[in-house]
Amino acid sequence: MRPADLIVIGGGLAGLTAAAVAANRGQKVTLLTYGSGSLPLASGAIDFLNAKAPDAAIKALSAHHPYKKIGFKSIDAAAKFLCDVAAQANLPYVGRLSAQIPVVTAVGTLKYSALVPESMDASRLADKRRIFVAGINGLKDFYASMLVDNLKKYFPDKIFDAVKLDLDLLGGRDITCMDAAQLLTGNEQSLADALKDLNSTDADAIILPPILGLEGNDARTVIKPQIRADIIETTCLPPSPPGIRLQRALIKYLQRSGVRIYENSKVVRGVGDGKKITGVVVEGAVREKIFPARKVILATGGFYSGGIVMRDFDTPREPIFDLPVFFPMGEGNWSNRGLFDNRPQGFSMTGIFTDDKLNPVDENGAVIYDNLHVVGANLGGADFIFERSLGGVAIASAYRAATI
Amino acid sequence: MSDTTKAIFTGDRCLSCTSCMANCPVMAAVKAYRGPKLVAPAHGRMHFSQEDIEESLNYCSNCKSCDRACPSGVAVSTLNMLQRAEYYKKHEHLRHEDMLAHGERMAKMVRMMPFGATFANIGMGMGKALGVFSALGLAGERTMPAYAATPFKDAFRRIKQPPAAKKIVLFTGCYINDNEPQVGAAFVKVMNANGCEVLLDTEFNCCGSPLVVTGFLDEARAHADNNVKRILDWKRQGIPVITPCTSCSLMLKEEYHELFGEHDMHEAAENVYDAFEYLELLQERGEFNDNLKPSGQKLLYHVPCHLKSQAIGLPAANILEEYLGAQVQTADAGCCGISGNYGFRKDKYNISMKIGEKLFARVKQRDFDKVISDCGTCRMQIHHGTDIKPCHPIELLAAAYA
Repeated sequence: MRPADLIVIGGGLAGLTAAAVAANRGQKVTLLTYGSGSLPLASGAIDFLNAKAPDAAIKALSAHHPYKKIGFKSIDAAAKFLCDVAAQANLPYVGRLSAQIPVVTAVGTLKYSALVPESMDASRLADKRRIFVAGINGLKDFYASMLVDNLKKYFPDKIFDAVKLDLDLLGGRDITCMDAAQLLTGNEQSLADALKDLNSTDADAIILPPILGLEGNDARTVIKPQIRADIIETTCLPPSPPGIRLQRALIKYLQRSGVRIYENSKVVRGVGDGKKITGVVVEGAVREKIFPARKVILATGGFYSGGIVMRDFDTPREPIFDLPVFFPMGEGNWSNRGLFDNRPQGFSMTGIFTDDKLNPVDENGAVIYDNLHVVGANLGGADFIFERSLGGVAIASAYRAATI
Repeated sequence: MSDTTKAIFTGDRCLSCTSCMANCPVMAAVKAYRGPKLVAPAHGRMHFSQEDIEESLNYCSNCKSCDRACPSGVAVSTLNMLQRAEYYKKHEHLRHEDMLAHGERMAKMVRMMPFGATFANIGMGMGKALGVFSALGLAGERTMPAYAATPFKDAFRRIKQPPAAKKIVLFTGCYINDNEPQVGAAFVKVMNANGCEVLLDTEFNCCGSPLVVTGFLDEARAHADNNVKRILDWKRQGIPVITPCTSCSLMLKEEYHELFGEHDMHEAAENVYDAFEYLELLQERGEFNDNLKPSGQKLLYHVPCHLKSQAIGLPAANILEEYLGAQVQTADAGCCGISGNYGFRKDKYNISMKIGEKLFARVKQRDFDKVISDCGTCRMQIHHGTDIKPCHPIELLAAAYA
C-alpha cells in the first residue's frame, strides 16, 4: 500500500473536518474510523465559546488554552470552511464569531451558538407575532405544550399555539425525529399540507421538531415556499437529524474529494522512526495491518470517546501513541459534586498538551512526534463542555492541523 | 482477541447512544423494525432468560452496519442472530427459510442428477414463470442464481497448474462453486502467477452464513466445527486458507468466534485470508508478481458490507489502481440491500430493493467501464436492480496476467 499523505484517526466533527481540509488542498487522505462518530448524536449547532461575542472572548483567553495554540486565523478560516462545505450539500449555516444565535431546544429553552443551521435560527422569532409549536402524532420526546410553557418565559408578549399534526406515522415502532425525517423524505407534501392547514401568515412562525429530512435543506426547500409563516426546527434527542445532515455533508465532501474512509478500523498503535510516525496499526479480528502515512492527525475524541482512557485515578492514558496526558492531580480535583456545577470539571480538562503546530509535547514542552497532530476533544487544559467550545475547538484545531 | 469478544458478552457495553439506529439501512427502509439498539442489546439480554421474543428481530438482515457504527464494540448483529436461533427453537421454520438456508444441500442434490444443473435452471425459470417461487415464500421478482454447467470443484481438476513450492488452499464458498466458477478460475490464475499452487479441500462445508441468518444455528455450528478442524489441519502444514468471498471470509475469521466463542475458532481464523488481503500481503513482502498489462479502466467499486467489517482497508482497489492503472471510484451508496438470502424472501424483497435504491441510481449513471464487487450476492443485487452485470475484482486482475 502506498503511504497516504495524511491519515486521520477518528470520524467525529474534528476528524471529518481535518480530512476535508486536507483533501481540499489536494492531499491523498485516508480516514480511519471506529464507530460512526458523535455527529448523529449532536445538535448540528457549533459553539465556539459561551460569550456574547465569542471572538473577543477567545482573544482574551489565557495562553495555555488550545484556542491560543490554534490561532485566531485558523479559527476564523475553519468556521468559513465548514459553512462552505455544508452549503455545498444544501445545508446553509448562519452566524459569525462575533455574536451568538439562539436555538430552540427540545424542551423549549433557548441555547446560543455561533454557527447554526439556517433551519434552526431562532433569532427570526423576535419579530413574529404568533408562534405555533407543532407536535407530531406518534413522535417520541417532543411535547409541544411543554415547549410553549417554557418559550413564554422568553417571549411573554407573543401568542403561542400548541398544535398537533397527523402525518400518518403511526403503526410500527415508536417514531424518533430521525425516523420521521426518513419517512418524510419523498413524502414532504404530507407535512406541507398539514402546515398549510394552520392558516399561518407572514407574521407567524412555526416551531417544529427537526424532521425536515436528513439531506441538507432538501425537504425544507420543498415545503417552505408553500407556507407563509417562517419554519424553525428545534434540537432533539438522538439520533439527531441536524447532526446527521452535517455528518452527511462532510462525508459527501470527502467522498467527492477521493478520501478513502475505512470503517471499523480500530487503531491500536503507531509505527515510527524517532520523531516521525510512518504508519498506524489497525487491529482486525485476527491480525493487524499497517497503514503507512506521511502525517497523522489524532482525532479520537478524548475521554468521552476512548481517545483517552483511565483505569485508576491519576493514570489517564492516550492508548494509541502513549502520549503524555495532562490532568488535575488528586481524586478531589477530579470532579465537582454538581453535574451542572458553575466550575469546570477536572476530568473534562484532561487531555494532551501541544505546541502551536498541535504536535504533542512532554512535560518540558519538547515535541514528541513532529508529524503527528492532536485535535478536538483530545486537547487538554480546558473543559470544552463547561465553556461550550467543543465544536469550535474541534473544527479550528482540525483546520490548523490539516494546513500545517 | 480475548473471549470477551464473544457476542454474548458485548451487549453490556451498550450505552444506548443510538449510533446503530442512525446507520441501520433496514430501519431507514421499514417502520416495523424496532432497530438494532432495542432489539439486540436491550431486549436481547432479557430474552435469553425469558420466553418472549421481540418479533421485529425478523427484519434484521445481518448486514452489520450496526456493528460498524457502534463506538463500544457491541456485536449487535450477531446478538440478533443468536436471538433468532432462540426463536426457532420454539417456532417452525418456513419452507422458503429452509430452502434459502440450504443452498449447498440443494446444489449437491442437483449435481447428483444427470444434466441436473440444466434441468434445475429450466425448472427455476419455469418455477418463476408459474409463480411457484412466490407461493413458496420466495421473491417471485428475482431470478434464482443459475447453476453453472460444471461446478468449480469439477472444473478445478482440469486446470493444469505450474508446479510451485508455495501452496494455498482455496475456500470457494457455495456461490463461486455452484454459480460463478469463473471467479474460482480467475483466483487460480492469479495465485499461479504469484507462485502459489492452489489446493482445493472438498471436505469443507458451506461457511454457514445462510444457516446463521435463517436461525439454523446448530447446523451452522456443525459446519463451523468441521471447517475449523480442516483449517487447523492446513495451518499445521503452514498452508493458508484463502477465499474470494467476503461473507465467507468474515464468517471464518470473525463470526464463528463471535457466535460460538471457542478458542480454536480464533486459532483457525488466524489462518484465513480474504483473497486481496493476501495479495496485498504478498505485495508488502515484495513477492507480488507485477508483470501485469495495465488497462487503465474506470471502475465503480461497490464495497460489500462484510468487507467493510474486516478492517483491512480496500486491498482490491489499491492493487487494481497501482498495477492496472485503473481509476477506482467507490460507489459510496451504502448496503446493496440483498444481504445474502435476505432479499430472496418474498416478505423482504421490497425492503431489499428500497435499501438498494441509492446504489442502483449510482450504478445507472454509467460513468465507468465496469462495476466491481467482491461479494456474490451484492453482484446479483446490482445486476437485478440495474441490468448491469458486475464482476469480481479478481477477474480483472486475472485478465491482466498474460
